[in-house]
Amino acid sequence: MSGTGLVIHDLHARVEEKIILKGIDLNVQPGKVHALMGPNGSGKSTLAFSLTGHPKYEVTGGSVSLDGENLLALAPEKRARLGLFLSFQYPAAIPGVKVANFMHAARQAVRPDGLGPAAFRRLLLDKMEALDMDPAFLGRYLNDGFSGGEKKRLEMLQLSVLAPKYAVLDETDSGLDVDALRSVGNAVKALRESDEGKATGFLIITHYPRILQYVTADVVHIMMDGRIVKTGDAELAQRVEREGYDTIREETGALA
Amino acid sequence: MPDLEEAPVLLSERFRAAALERYTTTRSGRDKPGRYWKIDLDALDLPMLLQIGAGSVRFDGVAAGTIVCDLDTAAREHGSLLERAFGATRLRSTKFGALTTAYTGLGAFVYVPRDRQIDEPIVVTYASEAGAAIFPTTVVLLEDGARATVVERFEAGSGAFVCAATEVVTGERADATCAAVQTLPDDARFIATRTASPGRDARVAWAFADLGAELVAASAETTIAQPGARVDVTALFFPAGDQHVDLVTSVLHDVGRSTSDTLVKSAATQNGQARYLGNIRIAANAQQSAAWLRDDALLLSKHSHIDSVPALEIAANDVRAFHGATVGAIDVEQIFYMESRGIERAQAERMIALGFFEPAIARFPGETLREEIRATLAAKAG
Repeated sequence: MSGTGLVIHDLHARVEEKIILKGIDLNVQPGKVHALMGPNGSGKSTLAFSLTGHPKYEVTGGSVSLDGENLLALAPEKRARLGLFLSFQYPAAIPGVKVANFMHAARQAVRPDGLGPAAFRRLLLDKMEALDMDPAFLGRYLNDGFSGGEKKRLEMLQLSVLAPKYAVLDETDSGLDVDALRSVGNAVKALRESDEGKATGFLIITHYPRILQYVTADVVHIMMDGRIVKTGDAELAQRVEREGYDTIREETGALA
Repeated sequence: MPDLEEAPVLLSERFRAAALERYTTTRSGRDKPGRYWKIDLDALDLPMLLQIGAGSVRFDGVAAGTIVCDLDTAAREHGSLLERAFGATRLRSTKFGALTTAYTGLGAFVYVPRDRQIDEPIVVTYASEAGAAIFPTTVVLLEDGARATVVERFEAGSGAFVCAATEVVTGERADATCAAVQTLPDDARFIATRTASPGRDARVAWAFADLGAELVAASAETTIAQPGARVDVTALFFPAGDQHVDLVTSVLHDVGRSTSDTLVKSAATQNGQARYLGNIRIAANAQQSAAWLRDDALLLSKHSHIDSVPALEIAANDVRAFHGATVGAIDVEQIFYMESRGIERAQAERMIALGFFEPAIARFPGETLREEIRATLAAKAG
């Protein structure tokens, strides 16, 4: 249980009596990019929410540690402060809360460096420029009336500003267009090239391999029916691209 | 109290006696106490209980070319102007409007002449001593094409009782905004009766924030009797501790081609209780009118309660009317999203609750007033 990394061991979890995760083992080390692929309903998003502590997801067994700390004993905001970040597939809209104020509260929570509003605004505008985002975003209400692509960009801005130790990007079935995919790719690349983010470990959850054209994965895992059934390198993602999930399902005898 | 011997007829003793009689014989129209709401507004024996104080009124932001004065001065020096607005609406037909009229010794008259447009708000501040009752009446008269914003404020010590009335009358194409921010002490009581009658193609906008007092019983009734008029009603309230808020807004479309837009945002925490009744009535001959009513209530604690009743009565067939009401707790997905960014639950709830009020806050005049409302809400949200 000790040592660096986001270390998931034999994780079981359920949602409203339905058992979804049936023993997940994963070890994401700093600076590494893991892709977690799988068909719909295989439990990928459940893993993301179980890691971050969503109240509807109940962990029924196993352990998760973040650089040696027992993550599962902590409230969601404490997990974030340890350096865990989840990019949501469907982030909540919060009318009346401005993006700028939210970003400031979040940054102060996870990186309490006491940056004043003016200095923080400068940092924010720099990051937005790097991500090619319109500064008008800052005055809008959080995800309120945002398009899918705009929501994704805001998630990527948060990734960039919060510079977590471990980032889980839930990209499953997101129906993103090429521009949005590229923005994810650019954000990940920019973070990995920054001082704050050069050691960030990534777990990129995805249904389609498209995103991996923009971010190169060190390790690729295939998830089916609540278990990781196969692990390989980038070539495994290309195989999914060519063959879909059926041949892997047959080969491994997985159910879903 | 003015010297009744010399008082103009509007404020004569007989006039007051008639108003008191009206108060005694008129029902509030509010529901009886129920499972949550424990106060019977018709059973409050207010005149017997009260120690009537002199109080005072002061004015800020008075522009040249307007008349802004206390009610006695208005009755003495501008009697014919005052009479065109004072009593021109249904104010005295309501129970608490009649009560204010019966005891009013304190008041303000705001008069804006034809086509005079004033940007800076005229601020009317009523003050009273601790434990005393005051009955301030604000009368606003805008001539054709005039525009003005009147902000009412109330300052009172512990145990105060404020029973206020506001009456607004406008000419054609006028634009009147009347805002009130009430932040009385936690043991004060506040009753407010507001009535308005916009002229042809005129606009009347109400915006009130009831954030103080242990008991608030407020009503705002606007009668549209001239075509082309528009009415905007904005209200926000946030009972905390043991505060009770009872609000009724009414827009009566009596003629056609009239528009109204009512927005009410409320939250309750701790043992805070509130009830809201939103009336929209469109008469049979008020064709081509449009009315919106939106009312959202947020419950932030187990023992808080808000009853919200939109009531639309539409007799015309060529109208557009919309109403929507929600009551509930903060969405768990919103809280989790903020928590997942490291923000503590209490702070997340506070930010979400304050954000919830923003669309209503945005409809108050002036950034200073809006910031004051935000700060008061933030303090209540803990």
